[in-house]
Amino acid sequence: MSDPRQRDDSEDEDDFNPAPEVGSDVEDQADGNDDDDDQDDSPRRENKRQSPARSPAGDDHDGEDDEGEGEGEDVNGNAHDEDDDEEEEDEEEDEDEEIQGHRRKRRRDQRNAFIDIEAEVDDEEEGEDDDEDAEEAEGFIDREEVGEADLVGREDDTRHRELDRRRDAEETFDAEKQAEIYQKRYGARRPARGMGDSGVVPQRLLLPSVDDPSIWGVRCKEGKEREVVFSIMKRVDERMGTKDELGITAAFERGGPNSVMKGLIYVEAQRQNDVLSALDGMLNVYPRTKLLLVDIKEMPDLLRVQKTPTLEPGSWVRLKRPPKHAGDLAQVLDITQSGLEARVRFIPRLDYGMRDDPLAAMTPDGKRKRPLVGPRPPQKLFSEVEARKKNPRAISGNPTSNTWIYNGDEFENGFQVKDIKIQLLTVKDVNPSLEEVTKFASGGEDGVENIDLKSLAASLKDSSASVTYLPGDVIEVYDGEQRGVVGRATNVQGDIVTLDVTEGDLAGQTIEVPTKGLRKRFRPGDHVKVIGGSRYRDEVGMVVKISEDRVTLLTDQSTTEITVFSKDLREASDIGGQGSLGQYEMLDLIQLDPTTVACIVKIDRESMVVLDQNGDTRQVMPSQIANKLPRRKLAVAADRNGSEIRLDDVVKEYGGMGRQGKIVHIHRTWVFCHTNTTNENAGIFVSKVSNVSTISAKGGRSQHSSGPDLTKMNPALSMGPKGGAGMAPPPKPIIGRDRLVGQTVTIRKGGYKGLLGRVKETSDTHARVELHTKSKVVNVLKGDLIVKDAITGRELKNYDSRRPPGMGAPGRPGEGRTVPDWNGGSRTPMASSMSNRTPAWKTPSGAGNGGRTPAWSKGGGDFGGRTPAWAGADGSRTVNPYDGSRTAYGGSGSRTPAWNSGSKTPAPDSFSHGSKTPAYGGSGASDPWSSGSKTPYGAAAPTPGASGGGDTWGYTPGASGSSGAYDAPTPGALLGAPTPGAMNAPTPGAYNAPTPGAMNAPTPGAGWQGGWGAADAPTPAGGAPTPAASGSFAYAVNAPTPGAWSAETPAASGPRYEDD
Amino acid sequence: MFFVYTLERRVTLHPSFFGKNMHELVTRKLLDDVEGTCTGSYYIITIMDSFLISEGKILPGSGLAEFTVEYKAVIWRPFKGETIDAVVASANQHGFFAEAGPLRIFVSGHLIPSEVKWDPNATPPEWTDGDDTHIKAGTHVRTKIIGTRADIGELWAIGSIKEDYLG
Repeated sequence: MSDPRQRDDSEDEDDFNPAPEVGSDVEDQADGNDDDDDQDDSPRRENKRQSPARSPAGDDHDGEDDEGEGEGEDVNGNAHDEDDDEEEEDEEEDEDEEIQGHRRKRRRDQRNAFIDIEAEVDDEEEGEDDDEDAEEAEGFIDREEVGEADLVGREDDTRHRELDRRRDAEETFDAEKQAEIYQKRYGARRPARGMGDSGVVPQRLLLPSVDDPSIWGVRCKEGKEREVVFSIMKRVDERMGTKDELGITAAFERGGPNSVMKGLIYVEAQRQNDVLSALDGMLNVYPRTKLLLVDIKEMPDLLRVQKTPTLEPGSWVRLKRPPKHAGDLAQVLDITQSGLEARVRFIPRLDYGMRDDPLAAMTPDGKRKRPLVGPRPPQKLFSEVEARKKNPRAISGNPTSNTWIYNGDEFENGFQVKDIKIQLLTVKDVNPSLEEVTKFASGGEDGVENIDLKSLAASLKDSSASVTYLPGDVIEVYDGEQRGVVGRATNVQGDIVTLDVTEGDLAGQTIEVPTKGLRKRFRPGDHVKVIGGSRYRDEVGMVVKISEDRVTLLTDQSTTEITVFSKDLREASDIGGQGSLGQYEMLDLIQLDPTTVACIVKIDRESMVVLDQNGDTRQVMPSQIANKLPRRKLAVAADRNGSEIRLDDVVKEYGGMGRQGKIVHIHRTWVFCHTNTTNENAGIFVSKVSNVSTISAKGGRSQHSSGPDLTKMNPALSMGPKGGAGMAPPPKPIIGRDRLVGQTVTIRKGGYKGLLGRVKETSDTHARVELHTKSKVVNVLKGDLIVKDAITGRELKNYDSRRPPGMGAPGRPGEGRTVPDWNGGSRTPMASSMSNRTPAWKTPSGAGNGGRTPAWSKGGGDFGGRTPAWAGADGSRTVNPYDGSRTAYGGSGSRTPAWNSGSKTPAPDSFSHGSKTPAYGGSGASDPWSSGSKTPYGAAAPTPGASGGGDTWGYTPGASGSSGAYDAPTPGALLGAPTPGAMNAPTPGAYNAPTPGAMNAPTPGAGWQGGWGAADAPTPAGGAPTPAASGSFAYAVNAPTPGAWSAETPAASGPRYEDD
Repeated sequence: MFFVYTLERRVTLHPSFFGKNMHELVTRKLLDDVEGTCTGSYYIITIMDSFLISEGKILPGSGLAEFTVEYKAVIWRPFKGETIDAVVASANQHGFFAEAGPLRIFVSGHLIPSEVKWDPNATPPEWTDGDDTHIKAGTHVRTKIIGTRADIGELWAIGSIKEDYLG
C-alpha cells in the first residue's frame, strides 16, 4: 500500500477483482486483476479457508507468467544455482498449487536478504502499514531479488526455501486461493513490468461471474466508512493465521460527502456469514441490519472511478460558504495534506464593525454576525488602518509581511485567507470574469502573472460545457477506445459527434464519439480564431505551436503570441477578427480627458490598452473613455522642416529612436504613427509634430482627392508644347523653341557680315550662327540676321522668330506681296487657276498647308524630305506667319513641282484620290475650311499616306499651323486621325459644327487668325480680301469657298464638287 | 512559386483619353493598376505583353469607357510548405520577421531550433546559438512557409526554420 499506485487503488476503492470498466486504462485493468491485493490484502492472505475459485484461465496465465519470470531470471543469472533454485521453485509452485506461502516466502526472501530470518515472526505484529507495503514492496523487490540474493549469498536463500516449504506445508490453502494469490500478485506486476499482454485478456472476461465472491453492502455510520474499513483491515491482520481468520476477500467504501453510497461499506465474501463474522462487534457498522447484496451486473459500476476534481494551487474556485461570500471568487493557495481542505484567498467583505459589533455583542458566539438580511458589505481588500480605527483590539498581526488576524480571520496582503473544505468550493464551471480576476491581480504584487493563462486555464478547463463542436471542425479523439482517431465532424447532436475519419486505418469511415474524449485539432499554420473561454476571445491568428491541447498562435492584430486551449479555437476564414470593443476599434483615437488623447493599441475582451500622447500605455475600460475622436482626413500639420504632413504620409522621427512610420492620426501637435518594424503597442508610436520629418508624402494626394488626374488626361495635349501653343492665346507662343534655330541666315552687320550660316541656338537677343564658310560658331545679334530660304536662298523678310501669330497676320500679306515667289503668290495664282478649274482644288491649294499635306504625302522624295522639317518647325512652333511663310517657301521650293504636277494633273489626281475616298467629298466640303480642308484633304487625298497625313493632322504638329491649331481642340485630331474619311463622312456639316466652335471658342480670334493666316498667307487672295477680324478672317480664308463654315459648307462643297 | 497566369481585368478609361491610341492607354493603365499588386493569394509581379482588349463600353452615368482586358502575367504565390529565402527585417524575443520580396514572414521562437536562443544583450539583439548562427536584421535565412494569410493588399506568412537545411 505504500506504492502510489496502490494507494490510488485504495482511494478509488476498486479492489474488486473483475471490475475493470470499459474505457479504463491499463492501470485499471491491472488493479482489477490484482483483485484483493489492496488494503485488505493481509486479511486475504491470512484467510486460508475460503479462497474463491479463480477462473482457470487466469490461473494458467499466472502460471505462465511465473514461468516466464523464472526464465527471465535464468537468462539473467545464467547457471547460478540459485537461479535454478528459483526456477525450480517456480515450477514447483506452478505444479503444486498447494504451496501457499509463496508470497510470504518471497517477502521473507527479500527481507532475508537484508534482515535476519526471524523477522518472519513479526508477521503477526505487523501493523497496517507493514501489511500495506508488504505486497508492493515485495513485488518491487522481487524483481531485483536475483541480484540481491546473489550478493547476499546462496546459503541464505536455501535456508529461506526450506523455511518457505515448511510454511507452505503448514499453511494449507486451497487451490483456488492459491490461484487467486497468484493472480493477484502477478496480475499486478504484469502491467508494471510492461509485458503489454494485458490487453490480450478481453475485459469482458474480467467481469464478475457467479463464481466470484459476492459483494454485500453493509450499513454503517455516515462519515465513518473509511474508519470501518480500516478496522476491518486491522481485524484481518490480527486474525491472520489464526483459526478464525476472516472469510472476506475485500472490503471497501464509496463514501464521500457527495456520494450516493455514503453510509455503506461493501464487503466481498463468498458467504454472507463471512461478512457477519468479519464485522461482528465492530464499531459504527451495523451488520445486523439488512445486508444489501450487490447484483453482479452492478458490481463494475460500484467501482467506477469518478475523477475527483483536482485542485491546483492558483486555480480559481467559487465559495459556497460562508454565505457572506457565497459565489465569490477565490484562488486556491494550497491544498492541505489530507486533500480535504484547501487554503484559499478571497477578497473579504468587511465592514469593520459597522454592523458586526452590535450584533457580536448580542450574540457572543458570533454566529449571527452576518445577518442574511440586508446587503452584504462590498468586496474590498482588507485595510489595516480601517480595522484599527474601528476595532483596534480585534486586530493583531505582522505589518512587515502584511499578515493580519482580525476578528479571528486571517488576512494576507489584503486578502482573506482561509482553509475551506473542498466540498464547500465550487470547482467546476467557475468561469471567472476578467473583472474579478483583475481585482485579485491588483492586490497581489505578482498579480499580473497570477491572472495569466495558467491559472485561468486550470479553472476553465473543467467547464467542458462550453466546448462546442461544429460540423467541419477537425477533431481528434484523445481518450477512450477510439483514441488517436482524427476526423472531420459531420454532425453534432448533443454530446455525440459524428466523425468522418480522415486519417489512419479507419479513414473513410464514419464513427460516432461522445464529446468527452474529443479535442479539436489544428496544425501549425492554420488560421484560427479564439471563440470562447479565454480572455483572448475573438483574437484571430495563425497557429505556430501545438502541445497537447494547448495551442500557441500569433495574432494577426498585434503579432503577439498567445496560448489558448484548442477547445477555444475554431478555424477561421475571416481575416481581421477582433479589433473592436463596442464603438472603439483598434487604432482609434480617443479622448481620455480634456488634455489627453490616446490611440488604442490593443483590445481585450473588456478593456483596452491605449497609448497616450505622452507615449505611455495604460489599460482603460471603455467607460473611462470620454469620447472617440473621429479620424480627420484633412488634418494637416507641418513637420520640423515645415513641410506639410498629412495622414498616411511616412515620417521619420528626428532624433530619438529614429522610428519611421505612417501617420495614422494627427492631433494638435502630436502624430500617432504606425510602423511595421516593431510589435510594441501594435507598432504605434507617438511623436511631436515638430519632431518628425516627412519621408514621403502619399503620392499625388491632389489627384486622389479630386477625381481623375487631369495632368495625365489627354496624351495628345501633353505630347508637345504645340498643342497648347497652337490653341493658346498670344502670349503663349513665346514659349517654345525659337523658330530661328536651324534657319539659314546671312549676317547683316559686323565682322561676319554677309556670311551665310545656320542658326544653332538663340537667346532673347542673340543667335549663335554656325557659319557655312568657316566651321565656326559666332554670336550675332538677332537683329543683324537676315533669314534666308535654305534652298532658294531668298530672303525672308520680317522673319520674327517669336512673334505671336496674331501679329503675323498683318505681316504676311506684305510678305506675300513682296515676295511673289513665296507663292503664296505663285501658288495662289495657281490655286486660283485651280480654283477656277476646280474650286475644290483651289481650296486645298489656297489652304496652303492643307494643300501641301496631300501634296507631300503624294509628292514622294522631295516632299518627304521636307516634311519632317516642316513638321518639326511647324509643330514646335505653332501657327504663325512663319508657318505660313515657311509653308510658302517649302511650298515654293518643293511644292512648286508638286504643284505643278498637282496643278497639271495631280489636281485631278489628288482629286481622284479624294474622289475615290468618299472623304473627298468631305474634303471638298472641307475647302471652306481652307486649312481645314487641308486636313481632310491631306488625310483623304494621300490616303495611302494617310498615316502621315493623318498623324500630322492628328497628333504631330507637323501638319501645319492650322492643323496644329486644329489639333488643339482634339476632336479634330480624333476624327481626322483615324479616318479622314470618317471625318468627312459625318458630312461637313457635322464636322464644321463642332470644330469651328471648338476652335473659336478656345482660341481668341487672334490665335485663330494666325492659324488661318498661315493657311491664308499663301493665298494672298485669301489674305488680301479679308484682312478682317479674327473669326471672320478665318472664314475669309475660306472665302474661296464662300460663306461661313458650318451651314454653308456642305452646300458649298456640293456644288463645287459638281463643278468638278 | 512563380506562375504565368492568364488574368482578366476591367479597365476604365476617362473620356479624355479616347482617341487613336486608346489601346495603348488601356494597357498602360493596366500596368499601372495591376503590376506589383497583391490579389489575396498571390502577387502580380509583371504583366507579359499579350493582351486581348475588348471593345470599350461607355458606362452610363460617368462617361468612362470600360474595357475588359485579358493579359498574361507572371505571378508569385507563396505556398504552405514552400521553402524560400528571405532577409530578416527585424528580430524580437518572440521571433523574427523576414521579407521575401513583398512577402513578410514571421518566424516564431517556437519554430526556431531550440539551440538558437534569443540574446537580448547582443547589439543589436539577435537570435543566436552562440556559435556561427546569428539571426538579426539583414541576415539571410531560408525558411519554410507553414501558413499564409491574406491582408488587404499584402500577404503574410508564418515560417519555420526548425528543420534540416533551414536556417
